[in-house]
Amino acid sequence: MGKAQHIAFVVPRLADGSVVGGAETLLRNLAERAAGHGRRVTVLTTCATSHYTWANELPPGRRAVGDIEVEFFPVDGDRNIETFLAIQDRISAGAKVSADDEQAWLCNSVNSRALCAHLAEAGDQYDVIVTGPYLFGLVYHAAKVRPHKTLLVPCLHDEPFAQLKAFREMFSAVRGCMFNTEPERRLAERLYGPPPAGQVAAVVGMGLDDFTVDASAFAARHGISSPYLVYSGRREPLKGTPILIDYLEAFRARNDVDLKLVLTGSGEFPLPPSLVDHIIDVGFVSATEKLEAMAGALAFCHPSVNESLGIVLLEAWLAGTPGIVHAKGEVLRYQCESSNGGLWFKTYPEFEEAVLLLLNNPDAHHALGQAGREYVLREYSWVSVEKRLIDSLDRAGETAQGQDG
Amino acid sequence: MSEVLEINAPGIDAGAIVEEIRATVERKRAEGAYADPRVARAERSNLANLQNDDDFFDFYMSCLRQAFVVDINDFAIIERRARFGKLLVSLKKTIWGLLKFYTYRLWTQQNQINGLLLSALESAEQKHRKRVQELEKRIAALESERH
Repeated sequence: MGKAQHIAFVVPRLADGSVVGGAETLLRNLAERAAGHGRRVTVLTTCATSHYTWANELPPGRRAVGDIEVEFFPVDGDRNIETFLAIQDRISAGAKVSADDEQAWLCNSVNSRALCAHLAEAGDQYDVIVTGPYLFGLVYHAAKVRPHKTLLVPCLHDEPFAQLKAFREMFSAVRGCMFNTEPERRLAERLYGPPPAGQVAAVVGMGLDDFTVDASAFAARHGISSPYLVYSGRREPLKGTPILIDYLEAFRARNDVDLKLVLTGSGEFPLPPSLVDHIIDVGFVSATEKLEAMAGALAFCHPSVNESLGIVLLEAWLAGTPGIVHAKGEVLRYQCESSNGGLWFKTYPEFEEAVLLLLNNPDAHHALGQAGREYVLREYSWVSVEKRLIDSLDRAGETAQGQDG
Repeated sequence: MSEVLEINAPGIDAGAIVEEIRATVERKRAEGAYADPRVARAERSNLANLQNDDDFFDFYMSCLRQAFVVDINDFAIIERRARFGKLLVSLKKTIWGLLKFYTYRLWTQQNQINGLLLSALESAEQKHRKRVQELEKRIAALESERH
């Protein structure tokens, strides 16, 4: 025995079609890879598809999605959004909240009592329960059902929520964590202390498949004849979208360069009138079109300071495009330092100089892009990631079985 | 805007490039290259990320110092079109003269307000920085007494 034969993956939403998100995509990929290794995998998720409304849009029940078995459970409909938002605002602002308020916030977050009841009643069948990201009430409550066989994929960020006592308890109670990067593992240790003896604390990440795309296809299709930066993902303040917009505006005003910005992904964001003709917002596009946009870009610019992996940056590197990231984003900066595939800025002048360098020095541009690509092929190939994943699952499975008796 | 940094591409070292970029920025900052209201405006979204960074705050204040005055001086009025060029220049000068007459007082007042606000902000920042330093010293002394 010893191997984790039957693994449950508990996720707030299933990444499928237009339902995307870094953490959702990560967990779905890990589930598929574990299934590919001959493990029985069951994904337990909610009927919601929108991360804004969390309405139950999919029918509950068990069915196959692609190659994996998925069981859908309804999201609880009795959450008090006002209470949730009021406490969330206080936590976001850095205010200390009581243990009762922490629980009220978690109980009024996205939850599914039906899913937790399933884990309580039928959880014996699973050798390991993998769940994440950490910030959801659903994940917190699911981790409490059978903590001795729960592996968190926390997608942890350095943010006020991570300092809640409830999460400290969750991190110390579970069987272990599978982190996306070394900085994320260090952050967990800084916040919650060294892991208890025997706890699994592995850096697993997500693998990427190599691809070949036409680097000029995107620009040709959209009539872009000047250099452009690209950003893919949600457009919102937490992702650094305002910095990107403000910096582009200043760069265009101060330099005689017709620099454009290509945005793929979702989320509305107000654009200043001066940039309306210089930002090409293509919204949600196919994976191929996104990769083509990345391959033809001067740089992939990711100004978010709260990332636990940055899959899109890895994809841009695989396309041979250098990254430009915010120096305060610990994970993205670590990846740029480790790979030599990107530059980091703290202020606008540093951003301006980095962009000018890439524009004026094609050799450096090429060398940075290639260094990033080699890093992804080395560290984030599925072969490497799968080995780390299966090792972690089996280690967690061994001890969980021991504790089960 | 800037000279091209010389980077040796084979065996590229991103950390070394960033250090070179920072040295360039430091030199150009001393030369006043970023004393530009557009830079101050661009940094407004970045303030939250760097609120605990004294260097950044100093830089931002220096941008503001350069940016707070609205330029209300006369400027060269030209006309690129050859036809009716002189006439158009005269017309523009007349319009500018009228605009200046009506707006000069408003802009002067705005400049005074901007200057006063900046001074108040600087003095509040200095006062709080000093106070925080004093409190940190007291906390350190109390902690060492406890141990």
